[in-house]
Amino acid sequence: MTSMLIIVFAITLIYLSVTERFSIYAGLVGLQGLLLFGLSFLQLDRITLATVLFVAIETLLFKVIVVPYLLFTVIRRTGVARVHDKALPSFYSLLFVSLGFLLSIVVSFSMNTTPYNLLFFIVSFFAVYTGLFMIISHRKIFSHLVGFLVIENAVLLLSLAIGSEIPMLINIGILLDIFVSVLILGIFVMRLRQQTDDLTILKDD
Amino acid sequence: MIEPAHIFILFFALSLLLGLLVALIHSKPLARLLTSSYVVIHVAFTAYCWMHRGETVLDYFTFDTLGLMLQSVLSILSITTVYHGFIYVRNDPPRIYAIYHSALIALIAAMTGAYLANGMTTVWIFVEATTLAVAALIYHDRTAIALEATWKYVFVCSIGIALAYIGILFLGFTVRDVRLLHLSFSSITEIARLANPLYLKIAFVFVLVGYSTKMGLFPMHTVTVDAHTVAPPPISAFISTTLMNVGFLAIFRIYALFSATPILPFMNHVLLLSGFLSILISAGYMLKAKHNKRMLAYSSLENMGIVAIALGMGGIGYYAAILHVILHSFAKAGLFYQMGQSYKVMGTYNLDESGNYMNLYPAGATALLLGLLCITAIPPSGMFISELLMFKAMVANGNYLYMTVAAILLCFVLYAMLTRVLHIVFSQPRTASVRPGEKVNPWQTVSQYILFGLVIVICFTQPGFLRDMIMDIIQNLPK
Repeated sequence: MTSMLIIVFAITLIYLSVTERFSIYAGLVGLQGLLLFGLSFLQLDRITLATVLFVAIETLLFKVIVVPYLLFTVIRRTGVARVHDKALPSFYSLLFVSLGFLLSIVVSFSMNTTPYNLLFFIVSFFAVYTGLFMIISHRKIFSHLVGFLVIENAVLLLSLAIGSEIPMLINIGILLDIFVSVLILGIFVMRLRQQTDDLTILKDD
Repeated sequence: MIEPAHIFILFFALSLLLGLLVALIHSKPLARLLTSSYVVIHVAFTAYCWMHRGETVLDYFTFDTLGLMLQSVLSILSITTVYHGFIYVRNDPPRIYAIYHSALIALIAAMTGAYLANGMTTVWIFVEATTLAVAALIYHDRTAIALEATWKYVFVCSIGIALAYIGILFLGFTVRDVRLLHLSFSSITEIARLANPLYLKIAFVFVLVGYSTKMGLFPMHTVTVDAHTVAPPPISAFISTTLMNVGFLAIFRIYALFSATPILPFMNHVLLLSGFLSILISAGYMLKAKHNKRMLAYSSLENMGIVAIALGMGGIGYYAAILHVILHSFAKAGLFYQMGQSYKVMGTYNLDESGNYMNLYPAGATALLLGLLCITAIPPSGMFISELLMFKAMVANGNYLYMTVAAILLCFVLYAMLTRVLHIVFSQPRTASVRPGEKVNPWQTVSQYILFGLVIVICFTQPGFLRDMIMDIIQNLPK
């Protein structure tokens, strides 16, 4: 079941890198949150009210509800539905992402890890690569934001590979990370204006 | 009997309480009183930590020499930053005034936590907290450019910190038991010796790239350049010194942790690459910089590049790196405070609109020249000693090519800074400034003379306690 969820997660990454509609971005980020909830739940050794609540807040509340809601709010407010015309065409995106997937496999295999961790490693690396690729290859801030959220999901996925007994500090770290991502979305929604597609005031003349 | 842990908790409880009070009660006199009190508390707390050097409190924090040294720098610069902040924001509405000081208290507390943290995860949590506090401070002026800089800072720092977190998770894989992650760095050192080098390399690269957002080092340097350009000058002074020191500390800690493993040459090569590229980029951009504060921001990139190179050289380079970090803090803070005053006098940060500063405000112009000497490592600057030691390390290692490249790049930096600062001080402005200038009380410049004085004294004599402290920090690193 765990392997299945990770593979679906990898598929969402490929889809994210080629799609051009922002509403699909928001939906896929929500789906990733749901997959992470499933993975986190399956990783639990002991099911107590506290652990289930923590996992639910971390994934279901923030990643499945709050973050996609904020993303859809941004889409509604800005009225921008598609990526920039000058963004990399989907075919080339697919090519680069496939290369990234290959690279993730090679790096993960060279790490001599357990077969169980191997899948986590491959998809985590691939998620980091996809997130960075989205930030670099797209011009609209919305795409950068989605790239950042994908990297955040990669961090959570990698932390799950460490084991079910994640210490409190790691959990606090992940929660703080989620809080920051919500704050970033908040700045985006509340402050950045509709026409702020490219932030280019700050530059060297 | 009051335990160090009680004092530690009390300090952070007071930080929270004073920060909240300042934020909620929009009163300028109260904000001034509480912020000043907080600085006094911080100085007292630093002194207390020194008295308990080496002790661990609450499992997650240790009063070690490096942390305490940087915390002392923070205490000193807190005094001057709060003082210059009072002057900078005095005409702001009470609400913005309160947010500024509340965020400043939060930033000082978060940086203190990062300095004293004894595990990578704890450091990470406090570094993340600094991002939130700094965001409020960069956005202080509420302009479009401030919003852009804030957005970029929070966004890129969050990516950097996420990458650093991946590095920390890999550290978890190397120790096999993630519960060890919150233990002291020294206990992880033992485990790291037996770990798979590939994991360690990946962890180091992720941590270096991630924390380079804070240290202002290549490849994530752009965010700090923008932030230092836009933030209020006292905050630029603070974040281009003490906050960069937080990034340095995080990278240094993991470097020291892995220095006894076979990946030491790899780490040195990565640091050298990052350091040289930092100086190259800063030299290039400083030559075309038309914004006075942006020039100083690139100077910070250059100096962090020097620190990375010195660290990558090893041997006497370690000593040079620590000394350079401390002296850079005083020199750069003084320069940013001065840049704030020059803006007030000339009404601009634009290089073409700047000029004739010696006639307009002689005390400030002299301070600017003194700061220029200090930051460019021209004797009698103490930074001359640290850079000399870095070159000595290169000679000792037989790295003559590195030495030549570094010398050439530093000549470009020197040329760029000299021509620009001398233009500001002695030449007439090329174009007229739109905003009229104001008068500055020369007493407000005294703090800058004190900071530059500290840097100059080190050129002539290094106090025994300073030498001993640096030797204590680097004693476990390879000779």
